[in-house]
Amino acid sequence: MLPLAEWINSLTLTESLREVAWFGAMINVMHLLSLVVFAGAVLIVDLRLMGGGLTKQPLPEVARHARPWLKWGFLGLVATGLPQLMLAPVKEYYSGLFWFKMEVMFVAIIFTFVVRPWLVELEESRLRIWGKLAGFASIMLWSGVAIPARLIGLVS
Amino acid sequence: MTVRSLFEWVEALPSSTAIRESLNGYPILLTSHVVGMCLFLGLIIMMDLRLSGLGFKQTPFSELQRRLFPWQMVGLAVTSVSGMLLFYGQPTRYYGKALFWLKMVLMVLAGVNALYFHLTTYRSVAKWDRDAILPFGAKIAGVLSLVLWAGVVVFGRLTAYNWFTYE
Repeated sequence: MLPLAEWINSLTLTESLREVAWFGAMINVMHLLSLVVFAGAVLIVDLRLMGGGLTKQPLPEVARHARPWLKWGFLGLVATGLPQLMLAPVKEYYSGLFWFKMEVMFVAIIFTFVVRPWLVELEESRLRIWGKLAGFASIMLWSGVAIPARLIGLVS
Repeated sequence: MTVRSLFEWVEALPSSTAIRESLNGYPILLTSHVVGMCLFLGLIIMMDLRLSGLGFKQTPFSELQRRLFPWQMVGLAVTSVSGMLLFYGQPTRYYGKALFWLKMVLMVLAGVNALYFHLTTYRSVAKWDRDAILPFGAKIAGVLSLVLWAGVVVFGRLTAYNWFTYE
């Protein structure tokens, strides 16, 4: 992976983008905006799974309404996360927090886009404690992505 | 006493110095600020999408407002306390940052927008609660809230850079 990171780092495009002072800042801003949209769409379903939030609405309906914002938020995070990674690939390579974030994110993506959609379609009487556990696990997983992500630039 | 000298006085306090010089304090506060923001703004956006007619059209607005409000307040508490401590640790750093003050102005405007909506359009919520398309006043409040809070995020993030910083 290190040769790949060094190759990306040496690309003319990477060097040109690094020289544009506002590019990195704009990417950071767009990443943060995508994050809040994504977080809202994740949380509104997780709270419902845990027995809070929109309890009078059927769980599949809450999930269906949140889905477009979940997808757009996620697309925004990927579309802005990749250029962020491209701007400092070697630094990220040597960051333990970056790899921890990536590992947790892999699990969180599978959980959110594969396991949770299946869970929310189950009859609520069958969910019982599993719904609460799923909501809690989802919040923990995405916190495990967001917290190290924020710490990457702050902790060596 | 000028604002500048007040900020300098605050910055010289032992508790301000302790935050500023703490090895883990700044990363913990900044991370808490982002986590609190995700909870607060994430759920505010979901509510604003309903108001502006962009999402959750089959959910009664009053339920969204009532059921999400406690969680939004938890997020607001976390992000406010961490934000105030971040400011308290380095007040003179923020003093000359035009983008920081712009963020503060937008936050106040977002608060005024929410208050105005609750004192006017929201009073008749029973009439339009379940409508897919909400009254003009509700739409305007939703769109304004989305724009103002987006501005808070944008200028809050840009505060980290030294653009538009004056002595």
